[in-house]
Amino acid sequence: MFEYFLLQVLNGLVTGLIYALIAAGLTIIFSVLKIVNFGHGALYMLGGYAGYYAIQLLGVPPIPAVFVAMALTFVVGVIFERVMLTPLYSQKVDRKDEYAIIVTFALFMVLENAAIVAFGPFNKRPPSFAEGAVHIGLLTVTYDRLVAAGFAALLLIGLSLFMQRTSVGQALDAVSQSRDAAAIIGIDAKRMFAVAFGLGAALAGGAGALIAPIFSLSPTMGDLPSVQAYVIVVLGGMGSVPGSIIGGILLGIVEGLGVGFYPDANRALAYSNAFGALLLIITLLVRPTGLFGRAHLRME
Amino acid sequence: MRPIKRSHVLAGGAGLLAGAVVPRTFALAAEPIVLGWVGPLSPPGSYAAGQEMKWAAQLAIDEVNAKGGVLGRPLKVLYEDTKGTPDQGTAAMQLLATQKVAAVFGEFHSSVALAESQVAHKYGIPFLGTDVWTDKLTAQGFPEFFRVCPSNSLIYTMVGKWATAAGFKNAAIMQEATDYGQGAVQVLSDIFKQHDIKTNVITVELSQQEVTPEILRLMNTSPRPDIFMAIVSGASAYNIVREACNSNFAPTAQTALYNGGGPALEKELWENDGKCAVNLICENVALPKTKLNSIAKRFVATFQKQFKRPPTGTAMESYDCVGVLSAAIAQAKSTDHKAIISAMERLKYTGSRGTYAFSTSHEPAWAFHQFMTAPVMLIQYDKLNQSPDDAPILYPRDWATVDYLFAKPTA
Repeated sequence: MFEYFLLQVLNGLVTGLIYALIAAGLTIIFSVLKIVNFGHGALYMLGGYAGYYAIQLLGVPPIPAVFVAMALTFVVGVIFERVMLTPLYSQKVDRKDEYAIIVTFALFMVLENAAIVAFGPFNKRPPSFAEGAVHIGLLTVTYDRLVAAGFAALLLIGLSLFMQRTSVGQALDAVSQSRDAAAIIGIDAKRMFAVAFGLGAALAGGAGALIAPIFSLSPTMGDLPSVQAYVIVVLGGMGSVPGSIIGGILLGIVEGLGVGFYPDANRALAYSNAFGALLLIITLLVRPTGLFGRAHLRME
Repeated sequence: MRPIKRSHVLAGGAGLLAGAVVPRTFALAAEPIVLGWVGPLSPPGSYAAGQEMKWAAQLAIDEVNAKGGVLGRPLKVLYEDTKGTPDQGTAAMQLLATQKVAAVFGEFHSSVALAESQVAHKYGIPFLGTDVWTDKLTAQGFPEFFRVCPSNSLIYTMVGKWATAAGFKNAAIMQEATDYGQGAVQVLSDIFKQHDIKTNVITVELSQQEVTPEILRLMNTSPRPDIFMAIVSGASAYNIVREACNSNFAPTAQTALYNGGGPALEKELWENDGKCAVNLICENVALPKTKLNSIAKRFVATFQKQFKRPPTGTAMESYDCVGVLSAAIAQAKSTDHKAIISAMERLKYTGSRGTYAFSTSHEPAWAFHQFMTAPVMLIQYDKLNQSPDDAPILYPRDWATVDYLFAKPTA
């Protein structure tokens, strides 16, 4: 029984690291821009296809293709922020929260439907990062999952270091805490908004490219992960990058254990998202700001 | 006598020329016969299947029109995207009802077709289901609803007989949470119960991506299932096949792997699952390659040339829907709904999947307006990148191309 428990925990950890990567991008956008990016799942999908075509058309090896995907989604993110989100920073828009919801939701709709036309309706799958699997007792983990989880962990560590040790990261943190205070010390908040949205988009795109050999590519591949990302962001505490990392890993493990141990085996898999929701509810009852959340954040 | 002027000669020549092309010109100039099409072309529906159905339908429409149309009138199709949701299907059918369509065809999702059939019944519009398998559709007994594809009972009774004959004793079935999935598993479970085959049913949402925890659970049950059946019609079936394979669960010497619902027939199976799909068993709603008639061969070649991919049985069903409706309208000599329904009940039409005739029996209930001899067979891939047409046929035995009931992987 203990070995089976361990199997589910290990598998959940691998899945959770990828969840965390998606959620970290969403968190950065939220913490700096104070908006919920409803287009995050579509950027994740776009990254997956970018990686695929980098491999198929340009001959880029699978792992460098993840960086190509991140670069492309970073650019898309920055362009979107510059074109569509700048009205948020002026007095042109009265209802800023609603405006942000509508434009990011539009990003999702446009990208998803454009993907059906541009990439076709049929599922695609890039080549594996590495063929084969590692066997640990009863557990078999494919190298694809290990590479994706390991790469996700490295990116998350890199992100944490970037946020803590670089001037741009500290500027992002400063803007996330107070735009006015950041402006007083000479930080260009508008530039940071573009960086934050681009960085968030790049993390989503990287996650999409990492997950592609595991779950395949389809124009709708971002629908479910984006919902899970919202759960993680609230679970970890809105605006907290470490919170989203811990939240993602926790969600992956809880979903795995839920499916593995729920008494009604026939319904366990269908309830996998419900286990995450239950975790969220319990966490919010105990800690209304989430695991590492700050006080309520709103658009300034 | 007035002299013949040059202008008169020209006018006469023009008249003769016009007379020579009257039938075709008339057909093109006449008011078109409007048909409605319903199916998923965008999320959350299975838009890949919908797109393939639409391609095949339009190809058939173009062919009919190139031959002068029906009753001297061209055919025109109004395509309505139902997004795979019953509410959109209802809205689409309501819209088509206002467009005075002669008949409606299409649909891939049973639950959506159930909603659409209610509207078709309300307005008395003939509705020919393309690839909707739930028994409930024809069991409703609506005079307007006909079906060219096999029903769940036709398919899964055969699958159940095969599984029993093959000697399986312990089945794990992953069913999609839809009318199709639950209906199919109901048929299978009843047969398995009669033959003392232990059945463990797992419900999965079509959007589910991560299935590894469930695979781990199944691998740790005792006794381990000797067949794992994924009754999943969406593209998530590719993940299930790959995860089952990567986890060393199935297809293995201990556990056979089956996919129901269609994704295993698409060429994307190989891009998504690669060697994991070797030894995969699935049903195919087409005729064996050796039994394809000239219509099927021509359709396959045209489809392949035009869309750069081989058509599946679903595409053939869609192609034949246009032929069935054209023949029914021609036989009825009218676009009146009741006349078309009456003609369809008496119809014998040879398409790419055999000669269509619709039962008028209500015994069993699902037989009403069902194409009872709809082809269906079980195949098992034995080579990488194999076409469904080239895969060994396991069942029914009179179509089988191999002497075994299923092949166990050797490694």
